[in-house]
Amino acid sequence: MADTIQKSNLLFRLIDPLRPTSDHADRAFRFTAGRISWMLPVGIGIGLLVISAVWGVTDPTQFFFSYLVGWTFSLAVTLGCLFFVLVHHLTKAHWGVVVRRIPEAVAYAFPMLLVLFIPIAFGMHDLYHWTHHELFDPSSPEYDPIIAGKAAYLNQPFFFARLLFYFLMWSIIAYRLYTLSVRQDVHPEHDIPKRQRTVSAWGLPVFAVTTAFASYDLLMSLDPHWFSTIFGVYFFAGAVFAAFAFIAFMALLLQRRGGMLKHTITKEHYHDLGKYMFGFTAFWAYIAFSQYMLIWYGGIPEETVFFRHRLEHGWEYHTTALVFLHFVVPFLILLPRASKRALPLLGVMTVWFFIMQWFDLHWLAMPVKDMLYGGHAGFHLLDFTCWLGLFSLLIAATVYRLSRHSLVPQNDPRLAESLHFENV
Amino acid sequence: MNKLFQEILATMGIYRSNEDKVYGVLAEFAHPGDLLRAARETHRAGYRKFDTHSPFPIHGMDRAMGLGQSKLGFIVFFGGTVVGFALGVWLQWWTGGVDYPLNISGKPFFALEPSVPIIFELTILLSALTAVAGMLALNGLPRPYNPLFYSRRFMRATDDGFFLHIAASDSRFDLEAVQAFLKGLGALHVEVIEDREEADVAPEPEPAPAA
Repeated sequence: MADTIQKSNLLFRLIDPLRPTSDHADRAFRFTAGRISWMLPVGIGIGLLVISAVWGVTDPTQFFFSYLVGWTFSLAVTLGCLFFVLVHHLTKAHWGVVVRRIPEAVAYAFPMLLVLFIPIAFGMHDLYHWTHHELFDPSSPEYDPIIAGKAAYLNQPFFFARLLFYFLMWSIIAYRLYTLSVRQDVHPEHDIPKRQRTVSAWGLPVFAVTTAFASYDLLMSLDPHWFSTIFGVYFFAGAVFAAFAFIAFMALLLQRRGGMLKHTITKEHYHDLGKYMFGFTAFWAYIAFSQYMLIWYGGIPEETVFFRHRLEHGWEYHTTALVFLHFVVPFLILLPRASKRALPLLGVMTVWFFIMQWFDLHWLAMPVKDMLYGGHAGFHLLDFTCWLGLFSLLIAATVYRLSRHSLVPQNDPRLAESLHFENV
Repeated sequence: MNKLFQEILATMGIYRSNEDKVYGVLAEFAHPGDLLRAARETHRAGYRKFDTHSPFPIHGMDRAMGLGQSKLGFIVFFGGTVVGFALGVWLQWWTGGVDYPLNISGKPFFALEPSVPIIFELTILLSALTAVAGMLALNGLPRPYNPLFYSRRFMRATDDGFFLHIAASDSRFDLEAVQAFLKGLGALHVEVIEDREEADVAPEPEPAPAA
């Protein structure tokens, strides 16, 4: 039995831990597009990253900040997809079974993302002010008692150890859920749903804590004086916001460009993904406002400094745009039932959501660069090349994994219900 | 004007009896599947003023009856959400900024930041209330008097009976033809309902047929 599911060789497990099983896939669930479907985004991704690297030599600080934003974007999408899979196993939701393979395939991107983190490790000194040794030296004129007080947490060995721990946990959870699901395609063992649920049950709390701390480490510590306990939830809200858009985007791509899953993913499933997108634009606004209102009410300089940076030097336009384009406009567009079922409109909204999630991360990180190195609000071309390069690689890896296995968890016991799902 | 009013009432399931005091024809079906098929056929035959009654919601009945998407969403948005939002803004501005300005820790008399929770809550509150009120109105509820209650069999609509009722006010209504039509659809029992306009007449429930 076990010989039909084989592990890939060690290096290849970074991309896909299992050898192809698409021969076992039902004809309706087969990936039919050619190699170009993943080679093209690989080419675009590598091309854009090479351009970024060459250009980055002239302005390393800008490169590191742009790269951090782009990399965090891909990380956020991957985390959001992992969340989708975890929650759907735990709630035994049946509607989402037909789309579940997409987030499963996305979520296995953690090993690749860890490799792509390496450039950031070289930019620690440029990115994270707390890595400067003189801040911790009482005899130095640069001595900063506040940051020095956080030395037990904000030091590089611990930072890297934490990051490795997060990636280890995420990779284990994603690996377990991905391989169990693919195994079920070939060997429909009756206890697989239960095992998937077990992984999800311990995986969800681990996911919650690690995601929150990852956002503190990667983004909040850019401004080491400031802290906000809701920041982890804020990052999570944006991550899921982008991830649901990404699932809908990939499903549309497979159907519209690839002509696959024609009668499998229906308008009803897109409607539900649209509801999720709508819900998380509101949830993001709720969390963003909760953070803002408490800081506004308190009016303590050490807290308000975060918004002060983002309400001057041109960042006030970014802040205003964020409120309207991340929340108000998409909220009103996605509110009617009809717009969630109009697939061309939903497709436009998915791209809109990617842009806004990236814009949000850009708004979190870039004002810090201005603060440290001087500068003004706006965009640098490196912002786009890094972001789109890394995002292309994420898409390529996802399509590649999808191409090697069935596009749907074809032996999931809830698949039949999912196929006939209808919104009441 | 009166005609328009009657049409609106008819969309809520409130029909008018004809000159002969006939309210409509009620047919009973054996199970939900039959009722679903009968509803589809009735709509296909061109009847528009008809309604179905069952002890539980039947999946797909809306489409079978040819009912469109509910208008409740629009009613809630314009009657509740927008109104609640505006009311919240006005309440915060008028009480804090105009009628009774109080200096609280040097904060502005009226600012958007502390007002958002109140605006949000009022938006939700009025939306929810409008949703409930709109749902009741669109269903023509509460409706203590309904000529269908004269039917002994109809008591079982909340228990184990599946009923389809074609109203006499339907433009295609013809007593003989409708009775024949419903029998043709496989109704167990077809009954003409008269609007006797009596109050407080509760028929004895018919004992359920022995299984």
